[in-house]
Amino acid sequence: KFLVIGNAGTGKSCLLHQFIEKKFKDDSNHTIGVEFGSKIINVGGKYVKLQIWDTAGQERFRSVTRSYYRGAAGALLVYDITSRETYNALTNWLTDARMLASQNIVIILCGNKKDLDADREVTFLEASRFAQENELMFLETSALTGENVEEAFVQCARKILNKIESGELDPERMGSGIQYGDAALRQLRSPRRAQAQSAQECGC
Amino acid sequence: FTDVNLNSRNTYEVSRRRSAPEHLPHGGSAPAEPAPPPQEPADRARHRLGIAGAGSSFAEFFTRNFFTKRTKELKPAVQSAPGWKLFGKVPPRENLPKDSKIIQQEYEARTGRMYKPPPPSARRKNIEFEPLSTTALILEDRPANLPAKSVEEALRHRQEYDEMVAEAKKREIKEAHKRKKIMRERFKQEENIASAMVIWVNEILPNWEGMRATRRVRELWWQGLPPSVRGKVWSLAVGNELNITPELYEIFLSRAKERWKSFSETSSENDIEDAGASVADREASLELIKLDISRTFPSLYIFQKGGPYHDLLHSVLGAYTCYRPDVGYVQGMSFIAAVLILNLEEADAFIAFANLLNKPCQLAFFRVDHSMMLKYFAAFEVFFEENLPKLFLHFKSYSLTPDIYLIDWIFTLYSKSLPLDLACRVWDVFCRDGEEFLFRTGLGILRLYEDILLQMDFIHIAQFLTKLPEDITSEKLFSCIAAIQMQNSNKKWAQVFASLMKDNKEGDKNHSPAPKS
Repeated sequence: KFLVIGNAGTGKSCLLHQFIEKKFKDDSNHTIGVEFGSKIINVGGKYVKLQIWDTAGQERFRSVTRSYYRGAAGALLVYDITSRETYNALTNWLTDARMLASQNIVIILCGNKKDLDADREVTFLEASRFAQENELMFLETSALTGENVEEAFVQCARKILNKIESGELDPERMGSGIQYGDAALRQLRSPRRAQAQSAQECGC
Repeated sequence: FTDVNLNSRNTYEVSRRRSAPEHLPHGGSAPAEPAPPPQEPADRARHRLGIAGAGSSFAEFFTRNFFTKRTKELKPAVQSAPGWKLFGKVPPRENLPKDSKIIQQEYEARTGRMYKPPPPSARRKNIEFEPLSTTALILEDRPANLPAKSVEEALRHRQEYDEMVAEAKKREIKEAHKRKKIMRERFKQEENIASAMVIWVNEILPNWEGMRATRRVRELWWQGLPPSVRGKVWSLAVGNELNITPELYEIFLSRAKERWKSFSETSSENDIEDAGASVADREASLELIKLDISRTFPSLYIFQKGGPYHDLLHSVLGAYTCYRPDVGYVQGMSFIAAVLILNLEEADAFIAFANLLNKPCQLAFFRVDHSMMLKYFAAFEVFFEENLPKLFLHFKSYSLTPDIYLIDWIFTLYSKSLPLDLACRVWDVFCRDGEEFLFRTGLGILRLYEDILLQMDFIHIAQFLTKLPEDITSEKLFSCIAAIQMQNSNKKWAQVFASLMKDNKEGDKNHSPAPKS
């Protein structure tokens, strides 16, 4: 289970759309509540199915979207490089995610709208320092051009897999947001039933 | 693009398109509405859209007829000339041993077509029954500079050509019949709308209070309101409990404008007059309105920057945040305001908007009063289990809770998730039946797709319901909604909801929202 979180208008839904459809959605609506996406990716020879929860960004919806954090294994924390306000809000988002999802949630910070470099208000250096201090991975992305979009999801998934292999993360634990897929079915990449509360499959 | 979209998503617009002047099949006796004056803004919108529509149907008509004619003129010339090619990949002109007379004929035919259209009836028939795409297939001579085909080859090519044309013709006639049937249904629908409109204007609206609750009116209401009276009926049904006047709207609008000005000049914190939202939050919401307006019905291109309704939508939302700082701007509102603006004058749209949002259900949602929202979801689940037990269990097994799909549906009153014309029909009955109908519609959607949903797992259901198919039709949806019984062991929606409220009353002291300042 993956979350996409961050302020309104930072391009969360567009990142998701670009990741899944490999296209930029230029007539997108704002998300009310939550929307979903899923995609199977290959990470180091393993097939991982991401179940992505794309949440509404408006502050007012926090009380609603918070209830979707539970059991998330990974998150894309998105801000807009052309808006300092969205960057300043990161701490709040981060606190929520760490508190409500799981201590071990793997978060990648995405400075989106990289293509609008002329209007930049947040430097790469500043954000990467913030990421380092808070133990986040960091990429600047562009949902418009697709730059680093796939990478963001893949890197996050890879980190989760590494943590599982090193024993840092236990997928069997309740609410880990990770579920092993049945090997045979996984090869077929077919959607399958899952037993646990939010029905995650192989992956995060 | 605009037009294509309207075409597929808004049958009312389509029917209007059909009655656009260029297309008038029955000598000007248009079933279109005479458009009473209070409908001005809505009509302006439709007028605008109508023009776009007419433009494209003219183009469509033009190409069709043009190509049809052209081949007819060509046919005699190709009679003895085996060797075919697809239209569109015409070889360089010098290779065509075309008679100048034919060119002349073609030209005349073309210009004749353009400047002297045939009588409407003939044209109509043409559109419907003339096989169209076969005209793109032309059997032609091999260019003169190449050796001619042998007799056998020529014969074989002719035969193949004839078969292909026959096949295509068959298919096209079938399609033409289908089109004709759809057209006939559309006309019927249009006539129904026209006759319903007469009843609404002449009988019901003048006696609104006396007739609104009668069985006859309620039944007619269920069929969908004619677009020309829609705004009026919505206004009447929503009412004006808040006693807002157009003057009051102007006052709040000018206050909003001042605020925008001061906001854009300095981002300073000036007034803290309300208890609900912080200054920062309010300023953020001013920014957010701007951002969201362009993301409201983006495919219509009328609310976007530079579009005809951009400023209107901005005004209504801005005035509302000044009028109700305790609620402020919440995402989802822009869709509701937009639908109202499409059907009402600016001030009337604001009045309807403010009153609509003041209904208990809307107030609970737009204040994001989570505990109240959960009550609504719980009541919804009572009727969900009652009406669709199998699907209910299926959802339960995945812990798929109603908030996942209902939040979007309720916040935008379906205007984001359903095609616009269908959403308007939902609004029609919502205005008649109240909040209960919103949840009934949700169950209708689940019922409509029950078989598909039963085959899906969590993520696929979630994806499906947060992005419904675009080809959903009003007949099917409304027959599913009609089949939903809002009755649970003799308890109606209001009673079920009330008992849920009572159950937890002690539990949460926080469910009554902060009063308006």
